[in-house]
Amino acid sequence: MKIASFARFVAPSAALMLLLMALPLAMTFYLSVRNCALQMEMVTVSESTPFGTREVTTQRAVLGPDGRALTTCRFVGLDYFRTVLGLGSGASAASAAAPPEASGAGAVPDNAAQARQQRSTEFIGALRFTLLYTFATTPFVLLIGFVLALAVHHVSRRWQGPYISATLLPFIITPVVGALAIKWLFRDNGFVPYLLSQFGISMFWMAQAWSAQLLIILYGIWHVVPFAFIVLYAGLQSVPQDSLEAARIDGASAWQRLIYVTIPHLAPLFVFVTLIHLMDAYRVFEPVVVLTQGAFTTSVQVLTYYTLLDEQNPYKASAAAVLTTAGIAVLLLPLLIKTWKEHRRG
Amino acid sequence: MTRRTRRGGVFLLHLALLAWTLLACLPIVWTALISLRQYVDAFSVPIRWFAPLTLENYSRLWIEQGFHRNFLNTAIVTFGTVTISLTVGCLAGYALSRYRGLLGFWLLIIALVFRSLPHSTLLPSFYVMFDALGIRNEYLTLIIVLVAINQPFTIWMLRSFFVNIPQELDEAAMVDGCTRFQAFRRVIIPVMWPGVITTGLFSFLLAYNDFLLSSSLVNADKLTMPAAIANAINAESEAFLMQGVAGAVSITIPLIILVLIFQKQIVSGLTQGAVKG
Repeated sequence: MKIASFARFVAPSAALMLLLMALPLAMTFYLSVRNCALQMEMVTVSESTPFGTREVTTQRAVLGPDGRALTTCRFVGLDYFRTVLGLGSGASAASAAAPPEASGAGAVPDNAAQARQQRSTEFIGALRFTLLYTFATTPFVLLIGFVLALAVHHVSRRWQGPYISATLLPFIITPVVGALAIKWLFRDNGFVPYLLSQFGISMFWMAQAWSAQLLIILYGIWHVVPFAFIVLYAGLQSVPQDSLEAARIDGASAWQRLIYVTIPHLAPLFVFVTLIHLMDAYRVFEPVVVLTQGAFTTSVQVLTYYTLLDEQNPYKASAAAVLTTAGIAVLLLPLLIKTWKEHRRG
Repeated sequence: MTRRTRRGGVFLLHLALLAWTLLACLPIVWTALISLRQYVDAFSVPIRWFAPLTLENYSRLWIEQGFHRNFLNTAIVTFGTVTISLTVGCLAGYALSRYRGLLGFWLLIIALVFRSLPHSTLLPSFYVMFDALGIRNEYLTLIIVLVAINQPFTIWMLRSFFVNIPQELDEAAMVDGCTRFQAFRRVIIPVMWPGVITTGLFSFLLAYNDFLLSSSLVNADKLTMPAAIANAINAESEAFLMQGVAGAVSITIPLIILVLIFQKQIVSGLTQGAVKG
């Protein structure tokens, strides 16, 4: 194919990715070092009340000629990064973090400001939990997925279809719905707490940080195992039968055949599943929102989401987003470099 | 291995698989069960295995709360996303499978990098951009964003299907006087249907299941089903909670039908690119 026709075919797709991924990403970097705030002016308003007229001095947004509120935007450097990372020496962070438009300077009640201050130091916490989730789920996903794949591979053919169907369910279910279903299962008076109470264990799953985090991790395993299972199961079909046969003739036990023939053959698939899962686990979002409501645990995506939604502050959210991007880059770089080297060697 | 121990082994295998199947389905089955109950029966101590069934939660949700509106929104957004994704993705996937230059390679690598980007990182810019243009809270905005975000995945998958179609096919068509586009449209696409359907299924799932973007880019009467159900997350009132349960089941039913019909395509889609390296 000639480059001209290649360009024509690829253009719509490339344009979409450029406009709605590359450009916004670049813009996030730009926004993260800026802040816009409403231009405020002091005005004296005279209020007439039944008890006479009094003058009140108050702040008011300056309106432009078109009736819109004017904003001043300025470069604030790394101030928001300091806030998000919780490094902010009070003064500089506070001045930079003057809330932009929607919050309306001065109109913010004190406790809201305090809550914001608290969440603002949570990026490290969010990152810590995201990484915990990623590395806690990966081994279980691989192990359970592989055991299931082996099991389904060895049952008779007519059973394979139903097992695969049932297994696919947690994977294709809407994540919000799956997380809600788990939440309802573990809710007070729900199914699991009742079963546990029969053994004398009584606990409120959503009330402590550790148990809520455990639930998120359980959800993650439940949700991703089917993917590992399907990929590894397909891989098992392609294990060369003659190698297995040769190993058997040479006297290898079933266990040895598994360790020395099957698993090495599947190694690239284990790498593949791990890579995909690393990418997806890093963006864990729905279960965190659903199972903790952002109370004790956040993940990096949740942090950006709430900064944007609750605080209406796209600049601070951008700083969190840039750090998120840096995190995934650091996480994937060694793997990408390794793949790249192998690709060049092979 | 004697026949006896082998039979015992198979029995154990089934036991393990059944245990997993139970675990995999329990949350959904239990939710479906309690969606047909009143609150007092759904969350009771001790739990009730049998309780009077009622469709009240569903009628409240669909008729009084107007969940059909959200269903319609999901239908619009999902249909739009799948159609545009496939059209744009097929063009790019085809070109990427036929072009041998370095540019194609880099495009694929960049797409892979974007595939790993958490979507929330784009959200602040989307807010600022779409507010400035005045196009936030539009179906089309959400659709185009979903298309763009799923493009990396879509073109990788479609490319892996196109690679399997021999080049001789389009070359023969071009020798017979087709232009490149005609060869693509008349010769390649007809033999590509299995790949297009599989990729379409995955774009469907990505759009249908999306929560992060749908809940932040549109609101009020344009909310999709998963975004609308988020109201049930913090629901304290009993009626509200039970409507959430009914909503969860309503969202899941189309997906279950999908798995039953398209199981083979979903499996092939998951393994595409994985097995072939």
